[in-house]
Amino acid sequence: MIVAEAKPQILPAPRGKTALQIEGVWHVVVLNDPVNLMSYVVMIFKKVFGFDESTARRHMLEVHEQGRSVVWTGHREKAEAYAFTLQQWHLTAVIESDEAR
Amino acid sequence: MKRVEVKLSLPVVEPLLAVIKAAVDSLGRDLAAPLAMTGLEGEFRDTWTGDLLAGQNEDMRALLGLFDDQFPFTGVIVFDEENAEAVLRACSAVRLRLRARFLTTLTDEILEGGDVELAQLGEGVRTAFMCYLFLATIQELIIQHLDSTILDS
Repeated sequence: MIVAEAKPQILPAPRGKTALQIEGVWHVVVLNDPVNLMSYVVMIFKKVFGFDESTARRHMLEVHEQGRSVVWTGHREKAEAYAFTLQQWHLTAVIESDEAR
Repeated sequence: MKRVEVKLSLPVVEPLLAVIKAAVDSLGRDLAAPLAMTGLEGEFRDTWTGDLLAGQNEDMRALLGLFDDQFPFTGVIVFDEENAEAVLRACSAVRLRLRARFLTTLTDEILEGGDVELAQLGEGVRTAFMCYLFLATIQELIIQHLDSTILDS
């Protein structure tokens, strides 16, 4: 999944030019699920975002205890790519506009 | 290449494989974790879903590949840098499916805590829960032994 990742993977097909225009600041939010293992979530955060162990663990615990964690902030296009990557790993992720928060 | 071989107990694991394969089959056209994203344009959403499904199905082949023709004779499964990521993801997908299809009577708290009285479960739920635990064990083994391999890939 592209530029959005610490390691290259398969990317979704490119969107149209208009949709690719920068649309402000967007957050990638991971939502809690009762199925995926904590160690699995930590490993994915390290792999996808390049987090160190303590940062990955902090975000994992935030997801677990608060139901959600903002794991990345930036342009929409890249946020979508990150969300796609997390979905490949079967984590539930959404993107939210900074204006909506 | 780092390689991990695990010898499994055939009498314990073989009864679980039919349930795991049924869960895999049921995922052929469905994402294990449905898209939570809203606001995606129709064509873009379809493309995403198609790409995710293709990847999910490929991962399933890696998982089922662990239990090939030799498995009933050897009881051995092998993880390496070629299959570790795909098997990890496939285990997650099947666990999500088992939870959605067979473990709905168990609360999130019970599943997360693992505090389940197996003897009190019906046979179908008990087998599905054993599969759920078995796949989690595979994930733990891979993360424990191949974490650096996956992060470097």
